[in-house]
Amino acid sequence: MIIVIGAGPAGLAAAEAASRNGSDVALIDSAPRKGGQYWRHQTSVKGYRSDRADRLFAKVENASITHLSEATVWSIEKDGQLFRVNYLQGGQESSLTAEKLILATGAYDRSLPFPGWDKPGSMTPGAAQALLKGHGVLAGKKIVVAGTGPFLLPVATGLAESGADIVGLYDANSPFRWLLSPHALLLNPSKFVELIYYAKLLKKFHISPKFKRVVSSFSDGSVTISCVDSRFGILAKRDKVHQVDVVAVGWGFMPDLSLGGIAGCAQRVDTDGTAVFSIDGSQRSSVENVWIAGEATGIGGADLSLIEGEIAGLSAAGQKVSMVLRFNRMRKQIFANALKRSYPIRDGWQSWSEETTTICRCEEVKMSEIRESVTELGAEDSRTAKLFTRAGMGLCQGRICSRNVSEIVAGLTHCAVSDGERIASSNRPIASPISLGILGDGKK
Amino acid sequence: MQNPDAIVIGAGIVGASVALSLTNSGFKVLVIDRGAVSSGTTGAGEGNILVSDKDPGPELTLALRSRDLWFEMQEDVGDTFELEAKGGVVVARNDDGPLMKLAAEQSHHGVKVQLLDHASLHDLEPYLDRKFQSGVFYPQDSQCQPMLAAAHVIRTVVRRGGAFISQAKVTKISVSEGHVTGIETTQGNFSAPIIVNATGTWAGELAQMAGSHLPIAPRKGFILVTEPTQKYVFHKVYDSDYVANVASSDADLQTSTVVEGTRAGTILIGASRERVGFDGSMNYEILRRLAAQATSLFPVLRDVQLLRAYRGFRPYAPDHLPVIGEDATVKGLWHSAGHEGAGIGLAPGSAALITDAILGRESFMEASPFSPARFEKVLL
Amino acid sequence: MTSEISFTFNGEEFRCVPGQSIAAALIAADERELRRTRFGNEPRSIFCGIGICYDCVVVVDGVANQRSCLIEAKQGMKVESAP
Repeated sequence: MIIVIGAGPAGLAAAEAASRNGSDVALIDSAPRKGGQYWRHQTSVKGYRSDRADRLFAKVENASITHLSEATVWSIEKDGQLFRVNYLQGGQESSLTAEKLILATGAYDRSLPFPGWDKPGSMTPGAAQALLKGHGVLAGKKIVVAGTGPFLLPVATGLAESGADIVGLYDANSPFRWLLSPHALLLNPSKFVELIYYAKLLKKFHISPKFKRVVSSFSDGSVTISCVDSRFGILAKRDKVHQVDVVAVGWGFMPDLSLGGIAGCAQRVDTDGTAVFSIDGSQRSSVENVWIAGEATGIGGADLSLIEGEIAGLSAAGQKVSMVLRFNRMRKQIFANALKRSYPIRDGWQSWSEETTTICRCEEVKMSEIRESVTELGAEDSRTAKLFTRAGMGLCQGRICSRNVSEIVAGLTHCAVSDGERIASSNRPIASPISLGILGDGKK
Repeated sequence: MQNPDAIVIGAGIVGASVALSLTNSGFKVLVIDRGAVSSGTTGAGEGNILVSDKDPGPELTLALRSRDLWFEMQEDVGDTFELEAKGGVVVARNDDGPLMKLAAEQSHHGVKVQLLDHASLHDLEPYLDRKFQSGVFYPQDSQCQPMLAAAHVIRTVVRRGGAFISQAKVTKISVSEGHVTGIETTQGNFSAPIIVNATGTWAGELAQMAGSHLPIAPRKGFILVTEPTQKYVFHKVYDSDYVANVASSDADLQTSTVVEGTRAGTILIGASRERVGFDGSMNYEILRRLAAQATSLFPVLRDVQLLRAYRGFRPYAPDHLPVIGEDATVKGLWHSAGHEGAGIGLAPGSAALITDAILGRESFMEASPFSPARFEKVLL
Repeated sequence: MTSEISFTFNGEEFRCVPGQSIAAALIAADERELRRTRFGNEPRSIFCGIGICYDCVVVVDGVANQRSCLIEAKQGMKVESAP
């Protein structure tokens, strides 16, 4: 038996491949419908190459895969040679045991603080996407989409197609950065087709993307757009102000490593500073019988996730992985690396915050408090800064702020964030909250 | 600061307290730590300053004085570490005979106690399960934020002429003719006639560097932290099993119930004790047990969610008493370590004992029960 | 006309299409502020939209800290910003 955790592109591909090759597969996901974040939908997936999603959904439904939906995994334990996956579903705790695990838990938008980022109306592009695709709701009428990365395109065009006025689309990086990765585009010609698809939509809705610009503040419906240099420092006196009801700002993605961490899978730091799981050519993690596929091995998008998922599923089912599949993964990996090169996040973001800007949203810890924990109290890493200020101790357990706190502390101490710190920050033995009653009732 | 009057190794609450105490007596103190402030057990502490959990004896005497010194430290350093005389309520699960007997003995030794019947118990803790019939209130039990305390105390030491160097791992303790002369570290060499070993769970390792021996071992503990909630728990609340657990040497897992609210609105739940060396791995069965115990005390907590759990290693000596005093064989080397789960509460008291001993003056109590020399017999 | 359902938010009635999350239903009705923070009393709304950030938490039928971006609005639900 193989348990696949996560029903996004990677998890679906893994479950389908394993099942197709004779394995018993259980697919667990916390959402009501398949698709993860990439393929959010209410009735059917819409958007670029949505047929791909439909086909995979159909295959998974037709296979004898047990799909546990609205099931949230909170921990994983070893039971002799088996893995026991503990999950919450319908207000109860249950568990599923299997010899093999495939983790495909995906990623979430990375956020950077700026004055007003915590106000109503400020959200991630993922939130605007989830509201639209998952619930049929437009986040607002007048929207600025900003940050960096190719994800801004489907978000802006999707919102425009549903009637929103995209007042501006701003990427902090210059598109000329793509010239650094000509091989990536040549190896992935389908990306040109995708680019043309979005270019047509941008033209249709009169959205003119602007580059090397960021949202530098948001307040009472007023968003300030500033020009930045290549280090993301704001260039003085080049601001523009718009009236909007929503600013959707995102800076790429971060994987949630909680479950793999609980299973003991080794991590490394990717070239963009993101902590990810170490895997081999068959998507095996450092723990025997645990495979990892998708964003948790390195942010790379849906294409790469699908291939990694398929490879993990095949490997878990004891099958050989074809050269074609490996080659395709390599092509997509090269493209993923190009994404990192084209859309880097520079330290200058730290200069956007004022002393009163919230850094830890859950515990309302301001920039001034983080600074003081370093300059006055001697914090030298984010763990200590967290102990002094409570940053990262709230409901989200640092998912939103802890990387930012690490980088702010590193900036103040003029040290780099150590790999160990990046990896330790994602260590969460409780992957999702569980009520004390349910937890205690489960004791032996 | 190449030649301080004293070097304190360990920037947790115990090291910080002795550094402050020495500084206030006119010493120029250098504090070093192989990590940053509070990177050891202090960073995993709950912030307990308790008198309720101690049998009459030297540790209780130390705890009583230390608790008062905490409030003096707040006067000195400033109200910067959430010190609060919260009070503790010990509830009896079954037979309350032993608890009442302990309370009576403690009250003869300076502990303020208030015996609680059913009505007064539930007045103090309205959400406590009605099945608890009686208890004891200890108004002296207090709470602080230990990481902030250590940081602010060290900051005060530095302001008063001391120094603090982090990321300084001791590589050698220099001893000449049976007397300590200085240390070598990864951040430089320093000489001093007085060295204080305040390295907690690692105090044995450090003592060995000086050619001495301290049998201090780790006792692992977990703490559960809930989501922020409305106030359900008004004091530190524990069942009377807490007392029995602390004094026991059993290798097996022991759990008792400790529940308290915090200023941030979260609820902290403990306590477990295990002798598993430095194995820091998660143990979900223990978390379940702690959760079940807590909800047995406060049924309302059944619907409160656990957000995180963390662990720490309490440093303990075989006889469960701290080690405070000058090393038996290496003069000038002073230990303030092995405080087990009471390090925070006992820190300023231990600091006073050491400072008084170094200055050769009488202290508030006889420190010999804590003497490092008591282990000498074991070696022979 | 699809059958709408209704729920209350801080005493006020809101209608929505079945299957929508509480947050989606409120945003659709232009009700952005979901709660106020516990220390600074600052207004908060949906932020990550996928259950990671816990900014959208509300009290649902008496249970606190429920993520309104994930929970489907049900007929007669009583939703509040604070207990």
